[in-house]
Amino acid sequence: MAGPAAGPAGPPVVAVSGVSKRYGATVALRDVTLEIRAGEVFGLVGANGAGKSTLIKVLSGVTRPTTGELRLRGRRLDLAGPLDARNAGIETVHQNIDDGVVFGVSVAENLTLDALARRGPGRFVTRARTRAAARAIAAAAGLDVPLDAPVETLPASLRQRIVLARALARRPELLILDEPTSTLSAAETETLLAAVRRMAADGIAVLYVSHRMSEIRELCDRVAVLRDGVIRETFTAPVDPARVVAAMLGDDLAARAAAVPGGGAATGPVRFAAEGVRTRPGAEPFGLTVRAGEILGVTGLVGAGKTELLEQLYGVRPLVSGRLLLDGEPYRPRDPRHAISAGVALVAEERAAQAMVPTWSVRAHVTLPHLAAHSRLGLLRRRSEARAAARVIGLFGVRGPGPDAPIEALSGGNQQKVVVGRWLEGEVRLLLLDEPFRGVDVGARADIGRVLRERAGRTAVIVASSDPQEVLDLADRVLVLHDGALAGELRAAEATAERLAALMAGRREPVEAR
Amino acid sequence: MTAIGKGTAPAAERVPARPLGERAARLGYRYGLVAVLAVMTVAFAALRPAFGTWANALIVLQSVAIVAVVALGVTVSMATGGFDLSVGANVSFVVMVTALTMVRFNLTGGTAILTGLLAGLLVAGANVLLTVVCRVPDLVATLGTMFLFQGLALIITSGESVSAGMTVDGEPAPGRYTEGFLWLGSGTIASVPVPVVVMLLFGAAVYVFLGHTRWGRALYAIGGNARAARPAGIRVERYRALAYLISGLCAAVGGILLSARLGRGDVGAGDPYLLQAVAAALIGFAVLGANRPNALGTLVGALFIGIMINGLTMLNAPYYTQTFVQGALLVGSLIMSYTLTPGRRERHLT
Repeated sequence: MAGPAAGPAGPPVVAVSGVSKRYGATVALRDVTLEIRAGEVFGLVGANGAGKSTLIKVLSGVTRPTTGELRLRGRRLDLAGPLDARNAGIETVHQNIDDGVVFGVSVAENLTLDALARRGPGRFVTRARTRAAARAIAAAAGLDVPLDAPVETLPASLRQRIVLARALARRPELLILDEPTSTLSAAETETLLAAVRRMAADGIAVLYVSHRMSEIRELCDRVAVLRDGVIRETFTAPVDPARVVAAMLGDDLAARAAAVPGGGAATGPVRFAAEGVRTRPGAEPFGLTVRAGEILGVTGLVGAGKTELLEQLYGVRPLVSGRLLLDGEPYRPRDPRHAISAGVALVAEERAAQAMVPTWSVRAHVTLPHLAAHSRLGLLRRRSEARAAARVIGLFGVRGPGPDAPIEALSGGNQQKVVVGRWLEGEVRLLLLDEPFRGVDVGARADIGRVLRERAGRTAVIVASSDPQEVLDLADRVLVLHDGALAGELRAAEATAERLAALMAGRREPVEAR
Repeated sequence: MTAIGKGTAPAAERVPARPLGERAARLGYRYGLVAVLAVMTVAFAALRPAFGTWANALIVLQSVAIVAVVALGVTVSMATGGFDLSVGANVSFVVMVTALTMVRFNLTGGTAILTGLLAGLLVAGANVLLTVVCRVPDLVATLGTMFLFQGLALIITSGESVSAGMTVDGEPAPGRYTEGFLWLGSGTIASVPVPVVVMLLFGAAVYVFLGHTRWGRALYAIGGNARAARPAGIRVERYRALAYLISGLCAAVGGILLSARLGRGDVGAGDPYLLQAVAAALIGFAVLGANRPNALGTLVGALFIGIMINGLTMLNAPYYTQTFVQGALLVGSLIMSYTLTPGRRERHLT
């Protein structure tokens, strides 16, 4: 696939000029300027926290820019809320499809939701009128769905199309699609991409946000890359995914990679081996090994399958296929408790949702996975708990109001020290870390990295992050996942920005199902 | 960024002193409910000398003992973020089962205790099946078991009360409540009524269990954030099942005490205990600033209701005002723990 033809050169539908957005001291967007033309699919990519969501929020009226202005067809826009944006002709379809449909009612009613919310003649909604209106909306969007079916019986892709059809029925000037394919299968994605192409052909300007390079390459006329709130580069089709990823990751990657400590010649025995594992059913199987004393990095764009892999190793989700060996013994975790008793630990991706109990003290968080070790005949021994908390605080240099303070009183970085550190309290043979540095400041990151390095002599560590720099800072070896499969493996010392970017963009791919 | 070298492990950093107003609010929140209870008790004692006597204290305790035992079970189910609406029906069911065991089947008091406990665990088992296995939300699942066992209690007794001398198939029932069983309701141990002793024992047990054992800690972790409890190695389903079993057991004990106190199996005798037990447990959130279900709070909550009703009765307040007074007490405590909590936190009951 050679990518779409060069984009139309019509007048801009939307012009964003000099837009900045500050949240307190944080700058989420800095002087962003871009134009999207009628009939154009404009791609927007960037790593987590690069500012994509903020830009979408500005365009969809959820938040006001601190400085700068928006223009739609030359007219200045002042959006006080999402409704203003919709009335001006800007429709947004959000990542989570099911935020856009109402369960428990029919497809026809879902398609005509907007009419329900509008004031107008006719107080009574009749089935016939609803069906007629729904049929018109579906036909306009080229959508063939059973109108009377309850919406929850449809697959995710069709629900997505319903949301899209509804957005199209309002005849938008600009359609914003925020990671529309993140929950779709490959075939469903193709259908959606075809639908987006048709919309663009009808003259709608489309802003397409995605982490998937193959879609960006196939679909977008132009692609803007955001990093740290700034548009770093804009590419015109045909787009080279490797260059896009390189722009996402930044220039300093190569320099950092060269300065990697250790350089990865762990000589310990193989601590953990996986054979024939898959990130998800249908994905290509692969194998991996980690030695005692080794830190293995796993990187890849969002949605590449990192979390799915780690959760299988920890028993959070069932093993799709293959087998696991821990110190040479077969290992197949039924649930996290089982994994923990085998000496495997996971620091989950979302700290607040998956590791913290609101209002609980630092001490209680430290001992939660090891309650049996801190109790005698079931009775908890406070002193033993306090000692454990003191050890973690000391080891990591946790800063905050002390072990008895609620964990919310700590900064994000110090919270992360606690939820990482609590696993080192037990006999952990394999430590899995999923995005351990998200929302963690540089100092805390250094503290955690230092302890992991020190501890690596006894423990095998797998660190997953969509930011390859974080992984390179720490790991001896790096696995790169792309679209659920293993794209390649690099020694940290050999990892260059170009090679990493190419692998993350799926350069290895020989064939693509088309 | 400051790099933190080895050996600079910072101990607890000093918390800046809080403004006086905030400290007062904190104190008020922590001890407010207990203070109100103390003031109320003193006021009743001053107005009615008969109130402040040992004998009346025992009467108050006796009157709240069964509610308190049932409420302790509700407290445990709430600790996991669950909610057991079936406890009232459970009490009624156990009353009927114990009455039938002795009156209709002429079995011993000991057997009645056993069948009563088993009946309570049966209700709990139904709750576990629905909530843990079938994943029905707690509130509606236990609502379902509530109706089921209210109905079952009627079916097994043909909708009638069970008392000695009742006719079964045209003949008088063979048995009656045994002396030993009745002692559970009206006997005393060192002049303290048996139900009060049971309440204190259960209170102490649940207090230690929830607050000082690893199992209690795990239950609270589930109630606090089940999504975080599971990756920490807590087997959430087992603990939720355990919580419902304890709740059912407490309700069964409450039912046995009530049956012994009544000396007969009255239809629907236990139904009012649901709302009173839930109220006691919820009032308990506000005791000593716990802001979560806890055994001590539940006991204080039950006692609060008992003292208030006893005192108002002595002041000749008509009986029909009792429900309103309980409601006012509950609403006040809820505002205290949900709205006035210092540094208010999001908390979800179900």
